[in-house]
Amino acid sequence: MASIPMDTDIPPLVQQLQVQVKFVTRHPDIAVPTAPILVPSNLKRYGLSQIINHLLDTATPVPFDFLTGGAFLRTSLDAHLQSNGLSAESVITLEYVRAVVPPKFQAAFQHDDWVSSVSTAVFDGDNTLTRILSGSYDGIARVWNLSGQVLAEAPGHNSAIKSVKWLDNGAQFVTSSMDRTLHLWSYSDDAIVPVAEFLGHKATVENIAVHSASHRILSASADSTVGLWSTQSSECPAAPTDILPPKPKKRKTTSSPAVVAATAAPRYGPLGLLSGHSSPVSAVTFDPKDPTVAYSVSWDHTIRTWDLPTQALVDTRTTQHPILSVCVLPGLSLLACGSSARHITLHDPRASASTVATSTLRGHTNAVVALCADGQSEWQMASAGHDGTVRVWDVRAAGSGSMFTIKREGGEVVTGREKVFDVEWSRIGIVSGGSDKRVQINETPRAGEESVVVEKL
Amino acid sequence: MAPPTSQKRRIPPTDDFEHSDVSDDDFEVGLLDGALSQNEDEDEDDEEYELDSSGEGSEEEDENEDEDEDEESNSDSESNDPPKVTAKLSELAITKPDKFESSRKIVLDSAGNQRYIYPEIDPVYDSDDTDAEETNTIGNIPLDFYDEYPHVGYDINGKKIMRPAKGQALDALLESIEVPRGWTGLTDRNTGTGLKLTDEELEMVRKIQMDENIEGYDPYQPTVEYFTSITELMPLSAAPEPKRRFIPSKHEAKRIMKIVAAIREGRIVPSKPKEAAKPQFYDIWADELPPRPDHIMNIPAPRLPPPTHDESYNPPKEYLPTDQERTNWEELDPEERKKDYLPRTHSALRLVPGYDTFVKERFERCLDLYLAPRVRRNKLNIDPESLLPKLPSPQDLRPFPTTTATVYRGHVGRVRTLSCDPSGVWLATGGDDGTVRVWEILTGREVWKLQAGEGGEAVHAVKWRPGRDAAILAVATGDDVHLVIPPIFDPETEAASKAILAAGWGYAEIVKKDPLKKEPPAKWTKPEPHQQELGTAVIVSVKHTIKHITWHRRGDYFATVSPEGQNRAVAIHQLSKHASQSPFRKARGIVQRVEFHPFRPHLFVATQRYIRIYDLAKQELAKTLLPGSRWISSFDIHPGGDNLLVGAYDKRLLWHDLDLSTKPYKTMRYHSKAVRGVKYHPGGLPLFCSASDDGSIQVFHGKVYSDLMENALIVPLKVLRGHRVEKSLGVLDVEWHGRECWLFSAGADGTARMWN
Repeated sequence: MASIPMDTDIPPLVQQLQVQVKFVTRHPDIAVPTAPILVPSNLKRYGLSQIINHLLDTATPVPFDFLTGGAFLRTSLDAHLQSNGLSAESVITLEYVRAVVPPKFQAAFQHDDWVSSVSTAVFDGDNTLTRILSGSYDGIARVWNLSGQVLAEAPGHNSAIKSVKWLDNGAQFVTSSMDRTLHLWSYSDDAIVPVAEFLGHKATVENIAVHSASHRILSASADSTVGLWSTQSSECPAAPTDILPPKPKKRKTTSSPAVVAATAAPRYGPLGLLSGHSSPVSAVTFDPKDPTVAYSVSWDHTIRTWDLPTQALVDTRTTQHPILSVCVLPGLSLLACGSSARHITLHDPRASASTVATSTLRGHTNAVVALCADGQSEWQMASAGHDGTVRVWDVRAAGSGSMFTIKREGGEVVTGREKVFDVEWSRIGIVSGGSDKRVQINETPRAGEESVVVEKL
Repeated sequence: MAPPTSQKRRIPPTDDFEHSDVSDDDFEVGLLDGALSQNEDEDEDDEEYELDSSGEGSEEEDENEDEDEDEESNSDSESNDPPKVTAKLSELAITKPDKFESSRKIVLDSAGNQRYIYPEIDPVYDSDDTDAEETNTIGNIPLDFYDEYPHVGYDINGKKIMRPAKGQALDALLESIEVPRGWTGLTDRNTGTGLKLTDEELEMVRKIQMDENIEGYDPYQPTVEYFTSITELMPLSAAPEPKRRFIPSKHEAKRIMKIVAAIREGRIVPSKPKEAAKPQFYDIWADELPPRPDHIMNIPAPRLPPPTHDESYNPPKEYLPTDQERTNWEELDPEERKKDYLPRTHSALRLVPGYDTFVKERFERCLDLYLAPRVRRNKLNIDPESLLPKLPSPQDLRPFPTTTATVYRGHVGRVRTLSCDPSGVWLATGGDDGTVRVWEILTGREVWKLQAGEGGEAVHAVKWRPGRDAAILAVATGDDVHLVIPPIFDPETEAASKAILAAGWGYAEIVKKDPLKKEPPAKWTKPEPHQQELGTAVIVSVKHTIKHITWHRRGDYFATVSPEGQNRAVAIHQLSKHASQSPFRKARGIVQRVEFHPFRPHLFVATQRYIRIYDLAKQELAKTLLPGSRWISSFDIHPGGDNLLVGAYDKRLLWHDLDLSTKPYKTMRYHSKAVRGVKYHPGGLPLFCSASDDGSIQVFHGKVYSDLMENALIVPLKVLRGHRVEKSLGVLDVEWHGRECWLFSAGADGTARMWN
C-alpha cells in the first residue's frame, strides 16, 4: 500500500476517514499503479482527478471522471459508500476516464423543411473541406460547408428524403426517400451528378447503410425488407420492369449549376431483397469489422443478423418493443438499439450470447430514432429522439442516465414540439437534424485536445 | 328643630314665659340630654322642671334657645291655656320647698274642689340599659323606606317619630360653611338628624386614632394567670392511677374492629383518591332508561339525533336563515319541509319562548315508534378489502400506452375520425374541415391531403380497406362515400387497388338492365376527372348523411350507417359488383353503428338502446343484446368474436360477453362525460380503450380466456389526458395500431395524437 505525499491542492486530512481506492483504467496511456491507496473519503471527482494527475505527473492537469458500479461518481466517496451500503474498509475500484466536456452549440443551418437525415464527410486537418450532407422532407439533399453555405443541391426525389449517407469519403453519396427509391450521386467540386437510381422497394426507404470498400449499400424499408445494393454499375442488375418508375415532379430549376435532371441516371435493381421481418424495417447497419454481416431492426421487435453474400438470415433476437434505430459500438461488439418505448438497449448480436439485452439506457422521453457511436471513444454514443433532444451516453455508466442533453437551439421559435430525426457524431462534433428545419452542430471538444475551430469562410 | 339659626329673631325675654316651656322644644333637649345623662325616662314636664331647676340663671344660650319657642308658645298660650292657670302656676313656682308640691298640679274637679295631680314617680333605674337609647324601633332597615312618610320610625311606645324639619337649602349651605362643634356630616339613622359628637366622644376618637389610651382603660392591669407556672411537687390527689388506664379499652377495640371490618368489606375506602372535579354540565341523557337486557323481541327505539347548531337558542349567524330561505320555508308545505323549524336567535336563554309544537312533536315521535316496523339487522363483519377483486398490478400488464408520442397537427376544426392503414405505417384522419389527411405515423408528417367534403362538408368517417393487397380508403362525407386510393403507395399496390375498384363497373351495367322493382339504396358513380386525378376512384352516394363506415374483413363489402335513413339507415355495399343493398325493410330505432363479426357471417346493428345480431347466412335475427344504456354511441367486437364493448352517451362503458347473457357482464362508469369511442386492440394485445368527451382516454387490460369457464379479466390501466375539451367535445374517435400498443385518438381540439 502506497501513501500519497500530500500536496497543497489536496484538502488537509484532519480527522478525515480514509478509504482504500484502486484506480484502474482501460486506457494504457494514462495508466497508474493499480495498488490500492488510501485517500480521504470526502474527496469528490475533482480531488480524485487531482490525485490521478499527481500520479501521472502531467504537465497540465487533465480532468478525469470516475466510474464505479456502472455509474459516474457524482458525490463524495463517503456518500457513495453510504448510498451503496458499502463498508469503509472495502477497497473501492474506481475506473477513471478522461472527462468529457459538454457539447457546445456551434451552428445551425436553416432548411425549408424538416431535416430527416444528416451525414458528414471529414478530412483530416482541413476543416474547410468538411462537408455536411442533409436530406430534407422537401426531397432535396443539400451539401453544406461548415459556414452554413449550401454548396450544392440534389433534387431528384419525388418525395421526402428519409436518409442520406456519404460514400467514398465525400466523393459520392446515397439518398433514400419516401418515393421508395435510392439515389446515388457523385459529388465533386460543388457539383452533383446523379449516378444511379435504385428501384425495388415497395414502401418508404427509411434508412440506409453504406460500406465504401465493398461498394455495398443496405437499405431498410417500410415494406419489411432489407435491400442490398451495389454502387458499381457492373454488379447491378437491371431495374425490375414491373415497378413503374414514378413520374418525376416538375421542379423549378434553381440557379445552382449542380442541379441536373434526375431522370438522366440509369436505374438498377437490388442485389437482393432480404425478407424476414414482418413489419417495417426501421434501421440497418453493417458490422464494422465484417462487411459481410449486417444487422437490421424492425417494428416487429426483432434484431436480425444477415449474412450478405448468401443473403441468409443468421440470427433473430426478439425484444419487447418496436426498435427504431440501431448502431454498432465497434469497440464492444454491441448493438445499441433505440426503441419506441423511449429507451436504448444494448444487445450482443453473437449467436452464442445468451442474454437478450445487456443493459438499458433510459432518459429519452419519446421514441429514440437515431443512434450514432462516437468514433473516438468506444463507450460513447449519441442518440436522437422525438422528444427534441440529442443525448450523449457512456455505456459504462448506464446507471447515470445520459451524460449530456443537447436541446434544439438557434431557431426563432423553440416550441418544445420539435423532433430530432437524425444524429451523427463525427470529428467536428455532433450533427443533428430535426423537425425544427435545422441542422445543428454541437462541438464536442475532447479533454486535453484542441477544440475544433470552425473557420468562417 | 330649634337650631341656633333662629338667633336673628331677637325678642326680649319675658319672665312669664320662662316657665311655660313648650313641649316642642323639650323634645330635642331631652334627646340630647338622654344621650349623656341616661335619664330620659323622665316625662316632658318633669324634665322641664329639672331644667328649670338646674340651669335657671346659668347660661344665656339657653335663654336664646328658648326665645323663639317663647314666642310661639306665646301665641299658643293665648289661644289654648287659660291665663289664670298660668298665673297659678307662677304662684306655685314661688312655693316649692317640697318636691311633691312643686311638681304637683292642681286641677279643679267637677265639684270645684282642688285636686292634686302628682307627676308620675320616676324610678330612676340606674342601670346600664343601652337598649333604652334607641328611640327608633324600626330596626335595621334602610331609612329611605320612610322617605314617603312624614315620620322616620316609631319609638318604644309605638308613637311615630316625626321627621325633623329640614332646613332650607340656604340653611344647609350655612351649616356646611359654619361647621358646628361636633359636626360629623353623618346622619343619625335613628333620628334622621345630623349626627353630632360630643367633646368627650371626639376626644375618645382622637385618642383611638392617635393610639393613646382611652380614658377609663388601664393598660397596666395585673396579670391574671389562668394556668399557674408553678409546678406542684405533690399531686393534688394521692389516689393511685386506676387500673383502667393500663388496660386497653374494650369499647375502643370494638369500634376499631368495626372500622377494620368495614375497610375489609370495602365499605370504607381509606385514602380514597380524590376524583378530579368534573365540569358541571347538564346531563341531557340523565333521565334515560338503562338499556334493557338483550332480547330478541326487544328492539330499542332509535335514538333521536342530538341537537345541532341551528337548534341552539343563539346559533352562529351562518345558521340563521336569510329572508329568501325563510320565505321559501314558509311557502313550502309542512310535509315537504326539510326541517320543521327555522333557526332563531335570542339574546338570552330566558327570552326563548315556549315550544309550541312540543306536544305535536312528541305525538309524532310516538306515532313513528308505534307504526314504523323495526327489524333487527345483522351487521356483516367483512373486511371491505377482501371484497375487492384481486387484480394484477398495471406494472405487470405492460405494454400499454402511457404518453403522447406524436401529435398530428394540421386539421382546422375537429378531427372526427381516424384510421390506421393495414401496413401500420399511415394514419388517415378526417375532420370538420372536410379534408382527409394521411400522416406518417411516427414522425407526424402529413404526406397527403384531399379535400373530400365539397362545400365544407365534414368528413364523418374514414376507414382503410382491410388487407394488404390494396390500399383503399373509404371516406364518408355528406351522403357520399369516396373510395380513394392515396397516391403514396407503390405502383403495384396502386394498380391492384384500381383494379379492385374498377372491377364492378361492368357488373353494375348488367344489373341495370335487369328489371328491378326497387331502386337500389345507393348509386355508384365515377368521380369527376379532377377528383380522379387526386385519387378518388369511386363515389357511392346514398340519400342520407353517412356517419359510420365499417369494412367486412375480406374487404369486398362495406357497410354504411346513416342514422337519419330510417329503414335505409344501413346499407351494405359490395366492391366487386358495385352493388348496394339495404338489409332491413323496417326501421327499428335509430341505428348508431354496425359492425361485421370478425369471422362469422354476422352483422351487429346498434340502435340507441339495443344491439341486434343478425345472421346474414340464415337471414334472421340471432340475438338481441340489452346494454341497458339510454343511448349507445359506439361499440366494438373483440377479435375473438365472443365479447362486445359498448360505449354510451350516458358515460357508461359496457362489456358484453355473448356467451353469458344479453345483459352486460361489466359496467364501467369511469368517465365524467359521454363515451364517444371504444376499441379493442385488433392485434392480439389484451387491451381496450374508451374515449370520452371529458378529454380523456382510458386504457384497460381486457384479457379474454379461451377457457369458457373463465370470465374476462378487466383491469384499468391508464387514463391518457392531453386532448383539450372544446365546446364540451373531447376525444371523438380512437383507433389502435394493428400490431403495436400504439393508440391513436382524434380530438375536438383539431389534433390527432398517437399514444405510446
